[in-house]
Amino acid sequence: MHTHSSIRTLDELKEFLHGAMQLEHATIPPYLTALYSIMPNVNQDAAQILRVIVVEEMLHLTIAANVLNAIGGTPDLTRPDFVASYPAYLPDGETDFEVGIQAFGREALATFLKIERPAARSEHLKAQSPLIHRKSSQHKTVLGSHPRNKDLHFYSIGEFYAAIVEGIKELEEKAKREGQTIFTGDRSRQITSEYYYSGGGELFPVFDLKSALDALELIIEQGEGDGGGIYDDDEHELAHYYRFEELVKGRYYLKGDKPGHPTGPPLQIDWDGAYPIKPNLKVAEISDGSELREATVAFNHRYGEFLALLTRAYNGQPNLLLEAVPVMFEFRNMMLELIRNPLPGHPGLNGSPTYEIGKNTADPYAAHRAEAAA
Amino acid sequence: MSDRIETFLGLSVELTAFSRFDLLATGLAERYLGTLDKVVGGDTTNTLLAAFAALPPPGDGTRARALRATILGSELLGDVARSLIKLWYSGTWFELPYAWTQRFGAKPADATFVVSPDAYVEGLLWKAIGAHPAGAKAPGYGSWAYPPKIPAFPASDTKADAVSVHLQNVGIMS
Amino acid sequence: MLFPSESALRVDPQAVAGSRDYDIVIVGSGISGAIIAKQAAEAGKRVLVLEAGTGANRSLVGYDDLLTTFYSAAAKDNQSPFPVNANAAMPRSPQLRKLQAGETDSSTYIVQSGPYVSDTTYTRIFGGTTMHWEAKTPRMLRSDFKSRTNYGQGLDWPLSFEEVEEDYRLAEQEIGVSANVEDQSYLGQTFPDGYVFPMRGLPLSYLDQQVNNGIDGTSVDLYGRIYPLKVRPYPQGRNGIPNPAYDGGRGYRPVGAVNTHQVEEGGRCQGNTNCVPLCPVQARYHSGKTLAKAFRMNGKSGQPLVELLPQAVASKVVIDPDSGKVSALEVKVYEDPRSPVYETITVRGKVFVLAAGAIETARLMLSSGLRSTSGLVGRNLMDHAYLLNWALMPQICGTMRGTSSTGGIVDLRDGPFREKQAAFAIDIHNDGWGWATGAPTSDLLELVDDRNLHGRELRQGLIDRVSRQLLLAVMLEVMPVESNRITLDPQFTDALGNMRPILSFTVPEYTMRGAAYARQFSRTVFARLGAQDHTSYDRSDFGYVAYEGQGYAIRGGNHLAGTHIMGTTKTNSVVNKNQRSWDHENLYLVGGGSMPTIGTANVTLTLAAMCFRSGRDILNYLH
Ligand SMILES: Cc1cc2nc3c(=O)[nH]c(=O)nc-3n(C[C@H](O)[C@H](O)[C@H](O)COP(=O)(O)OP(=O)(O)OC[C@H]3O[C@@H](n4cnc5c(N)ncnc54)[C@H](O)[C@@H]3O)c2cc1C
Ligand code: SF4
Repeated sequence: MHTHSSIRTLDELKEFLHGAMQLEHATIPPYLTALYSIMPNVNQDAAQILRVIVVEEMLHLTIAANVLNAIGGTPDLTRPDFVASYPAYLPDGETDFEVGIQAFGREALATFLKIERPAARSEHLKAQSPLIHRKSSQHKTVLGSHPRNKDLHFYSIGEFYAAIVEGIKELEEKAKREGQTIFTGDRSRQITSEYYYSGGGELFPVFDLKSALDALELIIEQGEGDGGGIYDDDEHELAHYYRFEELVKGRYYLKGDKPGHPTGPPLQIDWDGAYPIKPNLKVAEISDGSELREATVAFNHRYGEFLALLTRAYNGQPNLLLEAVPVMFEFRNMMLELIRNPLPGHPGLNGSPTYEIGKNTADPYAAHRAEAAA
Repeated sequence: MSDRIETFLGLSVELTAFSRFDLLATGLAERYLGTLDKVVGGDTTNTLLAAFAALPPPGDGTRARALRATILGSELLGDVARSLIKLWYSGTWFELPYAWTQRFGAKPADATFVVSPDAYVEGLLWKAIGAHPAGAKAPGYGSWAYPPKIPAFPASDTKADAVSVHLQNVGIMS
Repeated sequence: MLFPSESALRVDPQAVAGSRDYDIVIVGSGISGAIIAKQAAEAGKRVLVLEAGTGANRSLVGYDDLLTTFYSAAAKDNQSPFPVNANAAMPRSPQLRKLQAGETDSSTYIVQSGPYVSDTTYTRIFGGTTMHWEAKTPRMLRSDFKSRTNYGQGLDWPLSFEEVEEDYRLAEQEIGVSANVEDQSYLGQTFPDGYVFPMRGLPLSYLDQQVNNGIDGTSVDLYGRIYPLKVRPYPQGRNGIPNPAYDGGRGYRPVGAVNTHQVEEGGRCQGNTNCVPLCPVQARYHSGKTLAKAFRMNGKSGQPLVELLPQAVASKVVIDPDSGKVSALEVKVYEDPRSPVYETITVRGKVFVLAAGAIETARLMLSSGLRSTSGLVGRNLMDHAYLLNWALMPQICGTMRGTSSTGGIVDLRDGPFREKQAAFAIDIHNDGWGWATGAPTSDLLELVDDRNLHGRELRQGLIDRVSRQLLLAVMLEVMPVESNRITLDPQFTDALGNMRPILSFTVPEYTMRGAAYARQFSRTVFARLGAQDHTSYDRSDFGYVAYEGQGYAIRGGNHLAGTHIMGTTKTNSVVNKNQRSWDHENLYLVGGGSMPTIGTANVTLTLAAMCFRSGRDILNYLH
């Protein structure tokens, strides 16, 4: 078979892994926003699955950082374009689909279903190049594109990861032939379960080919569900795709059900049970001088600080991940506050986090902090 | 938003010292105005809102005194305003004092009750002290080992520096 | 969902009654019953668990409903998440009132016999009182097992610490205790070489640290002996950071931590400060976690080994007059918690285990006419006595954050003074004066209604009043006294016609002497901290006890024990050291009721350890 790896150098591999981290992170803001847009006391099932998935995406992000560290890379979540500009685009076969920041609802669910079940190629297409040429605009974030050329899109996330797996294998094989290894990273930089109370899989150190492949396998498997079955291998967990589908169909799956045909008890969904946030809101759209704008900027700033903290944690200070935990809880409160506030000048619409990191985010608290530190 | 809710928010900002943004962030402003209407009736609620609207403008040195005289110290409105403060701070409507009911008549809906489960969660009391309601809005593992982050609020004339050492974000990130 | 979906399906009471193949029938789904059920299932035994309460909280939605009930309750008392269920009633503290000597109050589920009224409580619901507990998990000290020999007080256990030590390890594993060996090696406590707890210790709260800053390096003098003071972390049954060194380097997996069920089965503790009465994220251990493992075990035919019948109140233990063995249990099964309609079924098995909690197990025995040869069923009722002391710290301490309690002053848990007065352990309450005064709601009411504060002054007032609160809850040792007891009277029955427990309790003088000292001790600590003492005990308090000219409000500790103590012979005890009844060879009475003394350790870790021991004994008996 073919699968021409387009990864030829270690540096290129590092860029791909940065791309993987970006990709894993990119779904967190949409899921989180949808989660916190849910009104109190309704849509508990939806909230639960969203919560599970966010935790898993965080795990995947961390695993990708482990792999990058294992090959001597330096994960950096503070790069200017690390956080996607929303709506961002994910590859979906011949086309891309849009992933935006929006409230929980039918549209959001349709997007989530697409994220959880990436395009699979039909047999006759399999032999073709994983890369598809497609011109994309300068300002779009296209996830899963080739690090060197944004116009080269992978056919699917799965094929993007397949390229990484292939690249690691080939580069390691080549290194081995020269009596070397690409796994030169410092082991103390690895994040293990001790630091990350994991959901959705064990966090183990990556230090050789096998552990690297295991780590990537975990991301790939969870990212794609598994080929068709409703339940994961251990027969206890419903794959994410089907948990979202339960919401769409308004019915729980039971063991033995056929995909698409849940037969369990009905489930309550309140389609109006979410705050009407303005999709893909930008700070510039919020009236200048309003408290909402100030709070939105403050959130972005805090989010940027969080990414900086993660970056330090991934660069030899894993115990900082513990400090990152309270910050994540703090976001939740900040996001809820934005989402419940009406958007001035847009009757019927509410505010939202904008995730414009590193842009117009003068720190509103900087003055206070300086004072406190003095 | 209607003028009525705007006036209600203005009154609530003054009574609680939380900003309009903070109050709206609870998602409960309309429900609380509705609670007033339900418990003490639209007339008394309107009287309260009118009394607020009639206060001298902010910045006028007599405003604080007028607030005490015409609202907090009013026989009719004082206890209602205090119940409103407690409502914002705790999510619970506390039954009006016996003396009030004796004088202005018992109101059928006037009992001590939690307006809704989320009202408990959104009580401003917790925010005021940099904590969180027991059983909700958890701050995360280990956060308790750090000093509290008590949010700054518009400083009063007398105690300008009361909380300056406990500003947002100190401790965790640095 | 928390459990395999099959287990949530309703078990048919008639099928249960018709079944003849249960090896073990267990009454109660608390930690005691759960441990034995799991152990038995691991050995391939068929187990029936009867639970008086409802099983609705087995699903995440049902569990979350408890939380919603709690949020909506105007009075957030101890039992507020747990809906009223007259068919399996439980004590609820706000209903109590002061009684005179000889006066009886039957208006609450536990009939209180004056003058002392106890607000002690337990929870009758799936998961039992672990749905409600705070989950401090200290071990008993070596000397606690021999208090008669060492101090001439109480009773000696028929077991030594050394005999229990290995079971402590099992209990710590099952509960998933977070603690550090270094922190727990005080007062001569030792651990085997290389021992680590399943998870790392929880960090001390900022409040604890402030208290420690004020007392570390100081000491007190008691009967000529010096006791150094320090704030030490408590071991906790809640998910923290798994210790990679656990189990010889294999590490520890918290329940629910390594699959996507985490949100369903228990995340890491997030500092919800609501451990009591209900942890919103199931970080705190409850026995549902143990039962979830048991429910997943299948027998040879693929059938689940453990069945649960909820809404099933064991009402009579039936004895075969010839063999003296238990032949069956009569069980009242109700359809709906809101209606007293029930049917009675008879359940058979080879071994019967009563794990209904110290009060309910005694109640069930007594109502079956089984006082035991020793006549001690229901007697020697024990519960830790709490004395609350509250003060305002000079500085902001960020009270109202963290688990209910992360640290305390525990250096007076042992010493020669125990010949004269009770030992004690002090918890620092991260939730401030809540237990004593109803803070912070009571503070809000006072500041708004009495002090006429609003706006900025109110915000500042709340910070000054609440964020500086310090509550020292002194937990005092209580020794067994035969007259402290549970009795029954046919005139007091519950909705199903079962007799209700009558509680007669007098706080022993030994404990009160300790309480008087503890009050002085707390004043000394406050003085060292520069804290304003706000403590006051009201004469009309239901727990008011006068001692040597002073009055103290004593609170119940919810650490119920002693109603069927273990001992060395059938005349000095109800059960043997394996918790097997001396009188009925296939009957086990397990839980706190078997403990002859309780020292200053919250009882659950110890009673869990004893259940591992009993589990093994039951399996031996069945072979
Ligand atoms: C507020 C509070 C805080 C606590 N904090 C701590 C702590 O920090 N540390 C500690 O060690 N301990 C603590 N405890 C005590 C601890 O919860 C108990 O010791 C422990 O849970 C007892 O477990 P058990 O299984 O023996 O009994 P329980 O948990 O009481 O279980 C008994 C079960 O039997 C069921 N049952 C009762 N009667 C019948 C019947 N007739 N038929 C069928 N079923 C029946 C009940 O519904 C219940 O499910 C606390 C308790 C409370 C209330
Ligand atoms: S502090 Fe909170 S999260 Fe932690 S155990 Fe207690 S209630 Fe649960």
